[in-house]
Amino acid sequence: MTQLLSSQGIDISQKNFQQIIIRGDGKDQFNEKINQEISTFPPSKNLEVTTNDKFIFAKNSFDQWSLIYLVEQDYKEILKFISKINSNDEILASDYSYGQVYFEISGENKNEFLNQLTHFDLRLKRFPAFTMAQTLIAKIDCTIYNLKDKYIVTCNKSYEDYFKERLKDSIKL
Amino acid sequence: MSAADNKNSSYITDKEVSFKFDGKKYIGYEGDTIASALLRNNVRLVARSFKYHRPRGIYTCGIEEPNGIVQILNEHNEPNTRATVKQIYEGIRVSSQNCWPSLNLDIGSINNLLSPMFSAGFYYKTFMGPKGFWKRIYEPIIRRTAGLGKPPKEFRSKSIHQNHNVDIVIIGGGLSGLITARKLINTQYDVLLLEQDSFLGGILKNSKKIKRINNKEPNEWINETEKLIKDSKNIKILKNSLVTSYNFTNHLIALEDKSVGKKIDNNKSELTLHKIRTKHTILANGHIERFISFRNNDLPGVMLAASFEKYIHRYGVVPETSPVIFTNNSTTASLLKSLVDLGHKPAAYVDSRSKDKIGRKFLNYLEKNNIPFYINAEVEGCDGNKKIKTISIKKSNKIIKVKSSMLCISGGINPDIHLFTQSKGLVKWDDKLVTFKPDVSFQNTITLGSVSGNYNYEKTVEEINNKLSFFKTKNIKLKIELNDISNFNIKELWETKHERKSNWSKSFIDLHNDVTTKDLKQAVREGFDRIEHLKRFTTNSMGTDQGKISSINSLGIVSKILKKKISEVGTTTYRPPYAPLSFSAIAGRNTYEFYDPQRKTPIHNWHIENKAVFEDVGQWKRPWYFKKFEMESMHLAVQRESEQTRKTAGILDGSTLGKIEIKGKDSLEFMNLIYTNAFTKMKPMSSRYALMLGEDGMIKDDGIVCKFNDKHFIVTTTSGGAPKVLADMEEYLQTEWPHLQVYVNSITEQFSTFNISGPKSRDIVSKVFTDVDFSNENFPFMTFKVFDYMDTEVRIMRASFTGELGYEIYITPNKALELWKKIFHFGKAYDLVAYGTETMHLLRAEKGYVVIGQETDGTVTPLDLNFNWMIGKKKKDFIGKRSLTRSDTSRDDRKQLVGIIPIDKSEFIEEGQHVVESERLPKRITTPVEYLGHVSSSYHSPNLNHCIAMAMIKGGNKLMGSKLFVSSTYGTKNIPVEVVSPVFIDPENKRLLS
Repeated sequence: MTQLLSSQGIDISQKNFQQIIIRGDGKDQFNEKINQEISTFPPSKNLEVTTNDKFIFAKNSFDQWSLIYLVEQDYKEILKFISKINSNDEILASDYSYGQVYFEISGENKNEFLNQLTHFDLRLKRFPAFTMAQTLIAKIDCTIYNLKDKYIVTCNKSYEDYFKERLKDSIKL
Repeated sequence: MSAADNKNSSYITDKEVSFKFDGKKYIGYEGDTIASALLRNNVRLVARSFKYHRPRGIYTCGIEEPNGIVQILNEHNEPNTRATVKQIYEGIRVSSQNCWPSLNLDIGSINNLLSPMFSAGFYYKTFMGPKGFWKRIYEPIIRRTAGLGKPPKEFRSKSIHQNHNVDIVIIGGGLSGLITARKLINTQYDVLLLEQDSFLGGILKNSKKIKRINNKEPNEWINETEKLIKDSKNIKILKNSLVTSYNFTNHLIALEDKSVGKKIDNNKSELTLHKIRTKHTILANGHIERFISFRNNDLPGVMLAASFEKYIHRYGVVPETSPVIFTNNSTTASLLKSLVDLGHKPAAYVDSRSKDKIGRKFLNYLEKNNIPFYINAEVEGCDGNKKIKTISIKKSNKIIKVKSSMLCISGGINPDIHLFTQSKGLVKWDDKLVTFKPDVSFQNTITLGSVSGNYNYEKTVEEINNKLSFFKTKNIKLKIELNDISNFNIKELWETKHERKSNWSKSFIDLHNDVTTKDLKQAVREGFDRIEHLKRFTTNSMGTDQGKISSINSLGIVSKILKKKISEVGTTTYRPPYAPLSFSAIAGRNTYEFYDPQRKTPIHNWHIENKAVFEDVGQWKRPWYFKKFEMESMHLAVQRESEQTRKTAGILDGSTLGKIEIKGKDSLEFMNLIYTNAFTKMKPMSSRYALMLGEDGMIKDDGIVCKFNDKHFIVTTTSGGAPKVLADMEEYLQTEWPHLQVYVNSITEQFSTFNISGPKSRDIVSKVFTDVDFSNENFPFMTFKVFDYMDTEVRIMRASFTGELGYEIYITPNKALELWKKIFHFGKAYDLVAYGTETMHLLRAEKGYVVIGQETDGTVTPLDLNFNWMIGKKKKDFIGKRSLTRSDTSRDDRKQLVGIIPIDKSEFIEEGQHVVESERLPKRITTPVEYLGHVSSSYHSPNLNHCIAMAMIKGGNKLMGSKLFVSSTYGTKNIPVEVVSPVFIDPENKRLLS
């Protein structure tokens, strides 16, 4: 973890999370297969997020889930998990561990701060806790997870420098 | 008489502030605008008019100001600032604009004497000829003289954008806005209250029209309300925020000035552009007073009556203690009363209304206070040099001259419908109020107070409770007591009759753009009797004030000329922005380094350390070429890189390539449908160059397909095409082929990609990946292997985009740099060279490989590129198949890909040049020159030591060996070229398969 900013009611840190994107039909066989590997069922409601101290599991769309490991795993284990999931012809799991960057944004002014960079409606009544969204932040495609007291924002790693500079710039001004 | 202070005003502090106007130092008070401070100092002449350079003074007290437009020298020379809005601060330096050599003596004022020449339509009629005059004379002169201020110098804005999502927006923090906000306190609604001024109150602070609210002084009530709002959980106030645009879907733009009354902090943002999305918009933005046209109604000293009143109460300055008041309505009564209450006496009160309309009560008041008054009378005009000296009042065909330096006029009040009409709401004419007012809303828009045409403040609460009854709120109860002497009434009057005619005397309808009532009449005479045409012909209300104080007047005058009702004449369109806003505010932080997001590969820093010069490929920063030494040119670097690659080995960071993983039990069928190639017989763990077409049969993208098995593929796409290809795949799966059980994931960023090629590439990769057998037998061309390496998984494919023996290496980004360095470590013995995109292009052109987007442009089929071999002819279907059999796509004379080389090998062919049959172009081209095609790629090949080029030319396949010509940028002589095969190097593929 790297603390990026802490100022004016905003705390931003960069996290070393790992991620797997899973595609499937969300039916019984799919759920069983996932449960068999990580002892949890994928969330069933669109944009729903379930979380524990080990991972975030979110349903991105009707046939896509993201599994984010909050505690760094042995990468070989992740590849092994992907391989097991992919042994089922009707599921596609792709490794997203190191092609993404992750930012944790918290603090009382997090909404106002993020709304400098995105038009997305972050009000609790429109973006409830434990839901996720895919939207533009600082003009780039990002995924944002609302974990009640903080947001996890992820984007492609190629944007890392640009995105960090935009975050710093917004705090500065 | 001169200006005086109103010590009763509580909005201005007694802290003195010094400032400079046109180099001269003045003292104002903290809270003063430039205009109020200048009026306090008896400065009447503040500007010169746009066209005639006539002397102009402060006319209003707000954003509607047409005259007092100045330049702020110490704020990056910020031009076109409204003196009536901009607050002063210690050390602010202000200058007048559009005058030379000085405001007092402006040479440009000669235009006023030449004004008969500059009537409506002057520009359209005058600059038609003689031929050549436009370029050499008219345009340079107009460019030099056009505009008002001078642009800012060396200015780098730090304006920011702020997004809001709310349930209700209230525009205007005056009486209606505040009552509405009180009603919404601690309800379920998220509310944003926007106020253009630095304080709330509006009319309550601008006048003494309202005596008490709930038995409280207006000021006390405002403070109480503001506190209640601030303590509430659901309402946020934004002051100094002017709503400039009301777009579709209740999307509003407001501009907040964050440095009101203080010096700009260069380290902070000076402006915030608020982008607001709301469910309901409540317009409580009030009204704007309009003027009356009469002779010399632009002289410094003429001011709108409500603005005069505003200066008294808001800024504590009485611009003139004995002005003349000229009105056609009842709103000026409060101004007169304010003056009398302060112990001043107007020089005259002129009212065009009859005794009955004015009312006995008010007449008694005038008599009691011994104020000279003229009823059923008009101001004929005023005279003076650079400020008013005498005012001519016409009553019963007699002219009475009154001496005063100021004339306060009121031609009635207009609901401020600009934002309402921007929202596409419809307005209607009200005969009683003599103005347009909102009628039918197009969006969720509610108008309250005077913007809705409700000029009776006592009825404001009732209106709010009625119109907002659908919100889940309680009714609000407030008692409003008025100071006003009479209810609103008005007599229609747009212009008074002139008695004196001269070139100097003019009756203006648009002060900002110097349009006179005579111009309107002339325009109608010339046939411009439609209001939108007339507006453009005369430029009436087309200034930065959008004719806020005069546009309705022009409708009134035109309606009289046309003998129509105003409602029949119609209105012009009020367009956003409501008031000017700077480009820097619109751009926000999306400038300079943040203009466009930048994407970098994991090897980016290595590239910088190794003197890479970058080029933008979409948002990617890709090494273009690497400089070996500082002075090395691109040409030399590219020649060196490509020579070395063909000699030993070169490596390219190809991480930007799009990558998509495809899996599912119907993947094979999906692949056969998406690409032109056939994949059914393709062996597992092999790869294939593939083409993707649009439904029109034109090439859309290309890439390499890696087949794991019939249910699992990984494909590459072009760097720029990756998002589109993925989106198209998803769309086809969801709309055209929902029966296919296939999933696709973008893995572009999940793998870094290096392309190593050259005769020594096998030796190098064998040393890096010691466990892998790279022999021709065990690792043939267009196959791939996946294996564990450096605690991760690596995929290596034998493929090449250079024509040399080559390998593409895929690895997770966190290990990419380490592997890249390792390859260089082992590559050193073979003089491995890093090369950029320019060398990549040269190498692929030597081999005749095409680049999608360079050889193709959306009109090229696979057949045009002689890619017939890539089309699975036995396939039942694929995207674009039907289109390839159309007569147009299969004809022989389509533009086809060929190679061309100059006959004189020392010549160089430029990309984009035309391929023609004729050796010379005529000096003057009078008839079309037949064009065969264009040069799509051209390079100097270091390996062949001459220029090689690819071209798309008509019937190219049949022209092999022909002599044609290519145009050049030097003269009319064309370069003779020979049409050859586009494969210049290794047509037998010996290198590739070595």
